[in-house]
Amino acid sequence: MAGVRVSALSKSYGALSVLRDIDLEVAEGEFTVLLGPSGCGKSTLLNAIAGLDDINDGTIMIGGEDVTAREPSKRGIAMVFQSYALYPTMTVRGNLSFGLKVKGRPRAEIEKRVAWAAELLQITPQLDRKPGQMSGGQRQRVAIGRALVQDARLFLFDEPLSNLDAKLRTEMRVEIKKLHKELGLTIVYVTHDQIEAMTLATRIAVMQGGRIEQYAAPDELYERPETLFVAGFVGAPAMNFLPGIWRAGAVEVDGIRIPAGALDLRAPVADGTSVVLGVRPEHIGLAEDGAPGEAIATTMQFMEPMGADTLGWFAMGGHRLSVRLAPQRARAVAGATTLALDLRLASLFDATTERRL
Amino acid sequence: MRGQSGAFSPVRLGIYGFLLISAAFFLLPLYVMVVTSLKSMPEIREGNLLALPGAPSAAAWIKAWSTACTGLTCNGIQVGFWNSVTILVPSVAVSISVGAVTGYALSLWRPRGAALLFGILMSVAFVPYQVFLFPLVRMFSYVGLNSTLLGIIVIHTIFGLPTMTLIFRNYFASVPIELFKAARVDGAGFWRIFGSIMLPMAVPIIVVAMILQTTGIWNDFIFGLVFAGRENFPMTVQLNNIVNSTQGEREYNVDMAATMLTALVPLAVYFISGRWFVRGIAAGAVKG
Amino acid sequence: MRFNLRFVSGRIAAQVALLPAMLIALTVFCGATGWTVWISLTNSRMLPNTNFIGLRQYGSLFANERWIVSVQNLALFGALFIVISLALGFLLAVLIDQRVRAEDLLRSMFLYPFSMSFIVTGLAWRWILDPTLGISKLAHDLGFEAIQFDWLVRQDRVIFTLLAAGVWHAAGLVMAIMLAGLRGIDQEIWKATRIEGIPAWRTYLFVVLPMLKGSFATATILMATSVVRLYDLSVAMTNGGPGIASEVPAKFVMDNLFERQNIGLATAAATSMLVTVVAVVAPLLYWQSRSAERAAR
Repeated sequence: MAGVRVSALSKSYGALSVLRDIDLEVAEGEFTVLLGPSGCGKSTLLNAIAGLDDINDGTIMIGGEDVTAREPSKRGIAMVFQSYALYPTMTVRGNLSFGLKVKGRPRAEIEKRVAWAAELLQITPQLDRKPGQMSGGQRQRVAIGRALVQDARLFLFDEPLSNLDAKLRTEMRVEIKKLHKELGLTIVYVTHDQIEAMTLATRIAVMQGGRIEQYAAPDELYERPETLFVAGFVGAPAMNFLPGIWRAGAVEVDGIRIPAGALDLRAPVADGTSVVLGVRPEHIGLAEDGAPGEAIATTMQFMEPMGADTLGWFAMGGHRLSVRLAPQRARAVAGATTLALDLRLASLFDATTERRL
Repeated sequence: MRGQSGAFSPVRLGIYGFLLISAAFFLLPLYVMVVTSLKSMPEIREGNLLALPGAPSAAAWIKAWSTACTGLTCNGIQVGFWNSVTILVPSVAVSISVGAVTGYALSLWRPRGAALLFGILMSVAFVPYQVFLFPLVRMFSYVGLNSTLLGIIVIHTIFGLPTMTLIFRNYFASVPIELFKAARVDGAGFWRIFGSIMLPMAVPIIVVAMILQTTGIWNDFIFGLVFAGRENFPMTVQLNNIVNSTQGEREYNVDMAATMLTALVPLAVYFISGRWFVRGIAAGAVKG
Repeated sequence: MRFNLRFVSGRIAAQVALLPAMLIALTVFCGATGWTVWISLTNSRMLPNTNFIGLRQYGSLFANERWIVSVQNLALFGALFIVISLALGFLLAVLIDQRVRAEDLLRSMFLYPFSMSFIVTGLAWRWILDPTLGISKLAHDLGFEAIQFDWLVRQDRVIFTLLAAGVWHAAGLVMAIMLAGLRGIDQEIWKATRIEGIPAWRTYLFVVLPMLKGSFATATILMATSVVRLYDLSVAMTNGGPGIASEVPAKFVMDNLFERQNIGLATAAATSMLVTVVAVVAPLLYWQSRSAERAAR
C-alpha cells in the first residue's frame, strides 16, 4: 500500500518546538495539502517526510515501509522546490536526468523517461537550454519534470507556485491538477495560499504552531471548521466572529440576542458558556430582500467593491460584520439596515477551548 | 548622482585638480622605474630623476634578465622568474583545491568540529606569521621538506587556507539551500554534489581565488626566503639579493629593470582582471 | 538528535574532506603557536632546549633597545599609515564618485600599486628617495639648493619614508573599498537630502560617513593586519637602517631567528606580537559577534 503515514512526529530546535506530535495519513492517489501561515511548521513537516531535516521523535512510513532512518534518495520520493532549485550549470536535459544517472539507470531508460516527461510538460523544445535562459513558468515545468522522471511513490511540492505571477499560477494549478488525475500520483503539497489548497486538494491539513488543527476535505473544512483558527484562516473575505454568551438557545452579543435554534450543534451547550459565533459573509443577507435567518439591526459603514460582488461593512454594537452583496444592490444600501443571519450554515465555537461546539 | 556635472565650476576644477595631483603621486614610481631602466648609468648620474632617457636602451633590461649578479652567480633574474613560476602554478592549484573543498564541507555539511576549525582559521588571518615560522622550520626539517619545492608549495597551501576557505565558504553558503536539498533527493553524495553541481557554479569565485593567490604567492618574500631554499628562491628574494649585491658599482638602471620585471606578472594580472581584482580583495576581507 | 544517522554516508565523506584543513589547523596553527610560546619560556639560543626560565626572555626583550625602537616605529608607522590611508582613500573615493570623466582610468591608477609586492614598492621608493641621485638631486637641478631631501638616511625621519611607500601601496585599496561602499548606498538617500537642501559636504560627513562604518572596518582590519606583518618593506627600503632607526618587530624576530641565533628572544618577541594582536582583535570580534547576535534577534 503506497501513501504516507506519519505518526507521533516531533521536532524541536533546542527549546523551540516546531512540530508537536504530528499524525498524518495520506492514502494512495491522494492529494494532501499542508496549509498554514508562515512559521506553522508545514515546510518542516514536508522536509521531515523527505528526510531533509532531522527529527526528534516519531516514525515515517512511505508505501508501508518505515523510512524514518533512510536517506532522502532511498525513500522513493521526488520533490519540487519553491525556488525550483534547478542546477544552473546543467541543461534542462541534464537537470531531468541527473537523479537517474546518480542512481545508475541504463542510458536508454533515462532517455526514454526524459523524453516522456518533456513531452508531457511541453518542454521538449527547451531540452538543451539552461535554466537561466528560461521564463519562470518554463522553469516551473522543468522542476516538475525533474520530479516526474523519477519513478517515485510520493511527490512532495514545497510552495511550488509562489514565485509565479497570478496568471501563470492559475495555469500551473490546472496543470498540476491534471497531472495528479491522469498519472494517479500521490502528492503532499505545501502552500500558504488557501485558493491553491481548496482547488487542488483532496484533503487539506491546516497547521498552526507545529500542530495539525484539522485534516479534512476542502468542503468540510470550509463548512464545518473544527477550530476557531481554521474558521478564521480559511475563507476570504474572512468569517465574521461574534463573541457572546450562550443563554437559553440564543447567543447574546453585547446584549443583543440572536436566537440560535437553527445552529447545527454536536451537543447541548450549557447556559452561560462563552462562545464565538462564526458566520461567513455570504450567509448574511438583507432582511428587506427576504434573506432567510435571524434579523439584526445594523448601520452601514462602507462598501468595498471587489468586482463580482461587493463587500458591505455594517456596525452591530461594537462589532463589524462583512456581508457579500450583489454590486448593483449594494449601491442602494445606506444608513440603518436590517441584516438576516442564516445560522443553518454558521459555526459555534467555545471561546476558551476555541473548538467547535 | 551627486553634484552637478557639465559646467566647470571652481568646485569641479578643484576636484579634477586634486585627482590629477593624486594620479601623479601614484604614477610617479612607475614612471621613474621605467625611465631609469631605459637610461645609461652616466645619464642617470648627470640627468635628473624625471628626465626622459636621451637614447632609450634595453641594455639594462637584458642585463637584469640574463646576467645580473647575486654574490658570485651572474645568471640574471630569470632564475628567480622561473623559480617563481615553478612555485606559483602548483601552489595556486593546490591551495585553491584544499580551500574549495574545506569551504564546501564547512558551508553545506557542517561536520563535527566545523565551528572550531573555522574559528581557528579566521583567527590565523590576524596573527603575525613570525609566530609560526620557527616551529614550522623545525617540523619541515624533521620531515625533510625544508628548502624543497614541495615544502614551499605546502607552505603556500597552509597560509592560503584561511582566506581560500573563507571565500569558498561564503560563496557556497550563498548558494540556495534548496539546490543542495534537490541534489540530496536525487541521491547525490558529498563528492558528487561538489563535482557536478557546486564546482561548476563556483567558476566566478575560482577566478577570484586565482587572482588573489597568484598575486599573493608571486609577491611573497618571507616564505620564499625561509622555506624555498637557495635553489628555489622566488623572484622577489632574488631581486632583493641582486639590488643589495655589493659587487662593484651600483647600477640603478639594472636594478630598476629587475624591479620592473618582478612587478610585471602581478601588474598583468591586475590590468587583465580589472574589477575582479577588487572583488577578490573584498571577498577575502569580509570576515564572517 | 536521534536520526542523525540518516546523513551518515555524506557526513563521513565531509569529515574526511576536512582532514587536511583540520591537520593544518591543529598542528601548524595551534601546535606551532604553542611551541613558540613554550620556547619563549626557555633559554634556547641556536637550538630549542627545555631549560625553563620563566619570563626572563621577556625581561631582556623589553630591555633591548632594538626591540623598543621596533615597537615605537611600528606604533608610529601603524597609526599614521592607517589614518592617512583611510583619509586619502576616502577622499579619493568621494571625488571619483562625483561623476568625473575617465573614472575607470583613475581607479586603475590609484589601485595598481596594491598589486605589487612590498619588495618592489620598497626598491622603487628607495630609488626615488635616494639622497644623492633621487628627488634631492632633482630639486637641486631645478635650483632649489636649500632642499636637502635625505630622509632615507636620517635616523629621525627614515620612518616617514616607509610611511610614504606604505600609503602609496594601500591608499588605492581603501579607495576601492570606499567606492564600493558609496555605490552601495541607496540612491533615495541622496534624493532625500537634496529635497531637504542639505549641502553635499554635510551629507558626506554626517549621513554617508556613518553609513560606511562597515567599509571603514574592513579597510582598517586589512591594513592593521599588514602593519603587524610589516617586514618586506623595511628590508627592501632600508634594511632597518640607518642604524636601527627603521627596525620593526617582524624584522626583529626574523633577525634573531635566522641570523643572531637567539631563538628564545625571537620567540618572546613573536609571542609579544601575538598577545598584542589578541588583545586588540579579541574584544573587537567579541563585540562583532554580540552585535550580530543582537541583530539576529
